[in-house]
Amino acid sequence: MIALEQLSARAGSFELRGVTVSVPAGAWGIVLGAAGSGKTTLLETIAGVRRATAGRVMLRGNDVTSLAPECRRLGMVYQHGYLFPHLTVLENIEYGAANHGAAREVATRLGADAFADRSVASLSGGERQIVALARALAPGPDILLLDEPFAALDPRGRARIRAELRRMQRERGMTVLHVTHDFIEAGTLGDIALVMEGGVLAQAGAPDTVFRKPASASVADFLGMENVYSGMVERASYDDAPAIAALRFIGDGIELTGVGDHPGGAGHAVIRAEDVVLARHPVSGSSARNALAGRIVSVAADGVLARVTLAIGTTTLVAIVTQASATDLALTSGEPVTAMIKATSVHLC
Amino acid sequence: MMAGPAPQTDPRRDARGEAHRPGRVTIVSVAATGFATLMLGLLVLPVGALVARGGAAGVQLLIADPELQHALGLTATAATVATLITGLLGTPLAYLLARGRMPAGSIIGALVELPLVIPHPVAGIALLLAFGRASPIGASLARLGLGIVGSPLGIGLAMLFVSAPLYVIASREAIARVDRRFEDVARTLGDSPWQAVRRVTLPLAGRGIAAAAVVMWARAVSEFGAIVILTYNPKVASVLSYDRFTAFGLDAALPVAAVLVLLAIIPLAVLRSLRARAQPWEPEA
Repeated sequence: MIALEQLSARAGSFELRGVTVSVPAGAWGIVLGAAGSGKTTLLETIAGVRRATAGRVMLRGNDVTSLAPECRRLGMVYQHGYLFPHLTVLENIEYGAANHGAAREVATRLGADAFADRSVASLSGGERQIVALARALAPGPDILLLDEPFAALDPRGRARIRAELRRMQRERGMTVLHVTHDFIEAGTLGDIALVMEGGVLAQAGAPDTVFRKPASASVADFLGMENVYSGMVERASYDDAPAIAALRFIGDGIELTGVGDHPGGAGHAVIRAEDVVLARHPVSGSSARNALAGRIVSVAADGVLARVTLAIGTTTLVAIVTQASATDLALTSGEPVTAMIKATSVHLC
Repeated sequence: MMAGPAPQTDPRRDARGEAHRPGRVTIVSVAATGFATLMLGLLVLPVGALVARGGAAGVQLLIADPELQHALGLTATAATVATLITGLLGTPLAYLLARGRMPAGSIIGALVELPLVIPHPVAGIALLLAFGRASPIGASLARLGLGIVGSPLGIGLAMLFVSAPLYVIASREAIARVDRRFEDVARTLGDSPWQAVRRVTLPLAGRGIAAAAVVMWARAVSEFGAIVILTYNPKVASVLSYDRFTAFGLDAALPVAAVLVLLAIIPLAVLRSLRARAQPWEPEA
């Protein structure tokens, strides 16, 4: 288990502030965030190579805040690998391993045995990352910190290494904290997602929750949400109202009905483009609480999907539909269309 | 029809749109070559003249003159001992300065560089004050039979004082070029701080540190000003050369001086060889 309590650290002028989060034993935590948000500093502080200025780092239930990195028994992989250039690939992999046989087995499982005798200088970026991963896994740590470990791998190699690492993680019951910019990786691997923003933990939770219900407009923006609006939120009732209530949002030239626990006042409405349903004519008898009449601005093909941008009054709304739907509905620029959104798909934060 | 302004891609104009003047370029090239030749002449001509005049006699003297042999042996030994001691004590200092882990690092860094800007006879006087027989330290050392003035110990001390800064500065640069994260990774793989330095940092900075030692050794061998104040006798090679010049004139000093120049080729060759053996992963020294 990795548990952080009000963890703060400093890296030059950058400051990591008051991070409190817990990744259960055997879980795979994903760390998301824009460049410079503190992801690497967070991992370095957990690893102990960067000193915590405040707060605590708990590993396996023990306070390790004052322990040296070599006493924390964890593995760490940097994006750039930092392979020791004066050693061969195999010497790198065996560097921290007491059992060289186990180190070679890890190398074989990850496919690093194919270039074990080569010099580090002759490796490609992807091969370097595989070796760095094998080197971190070779001593058999039960906690693994990964800083964009697959960034330089080609898609096929990435899928293979990801699957093998997932198998090893389950076999060993490893707790993983993994920095990535790949949302698909976050969704497929992560048991818990952490979103870092400006040195603070902006949101933590199940990846699905984070992606569906971002805690703030900036998190929504970072996660690539297309439809984020600023305005005022009104609760249906303020007295003795349950935590989850019907909400009304007005702002950015759009009016929406939603549900949620927003206390009312200034806020943001976030709608995933995949949750917008399009109809050529107003539909009666639908359960969707929001039916917005508009006009198509553009239709852009994206593989089997089509990204449709609508003008709704003075604002825009993006919908993602299948190419087949776009063809069947004859969605073309300038055509009138109705966008339907369920109240539960309008996330107010 | 009026002609428009000359396009930016006009090969006769530079990036700022100024017209190319082939004549001006030629004058600049000729002037640069002239200055470079003059500089080269200033550096090479005196050494060349010295070796041409005294080289052959110097080689003969090297075989026949016991005083020269002794002076050269003393010089090389004292310089080697000074370099080894500096390597032992100066490498940790260079490491701490490179990694910014030294309290008041910038002040200490400046103090380390101070001997480089002190005139060397002044350095000799300072050493005399600090370690001479009249000083408490010098008197104590003398009682232990470790007199500084007029002894090989004084020669080594003078060499260390004037040339160790070169070692510390160059080693600090070599270590600073090794990314701290190599050590961090080694620590997460179970290394103690010392193991990480020994297994990762020193091998990666090794060529730069070796080059620093060679530069220090060469500078120590050529030291005169501080040594002559502290220890005229026994004579090191540079003092012997000066002694022959003042006692017997230029002709007597020339062969000794030429031998010193010829021997200077050794550290120069070692440095060149170190540079030539750069590994593909090494940053430029």
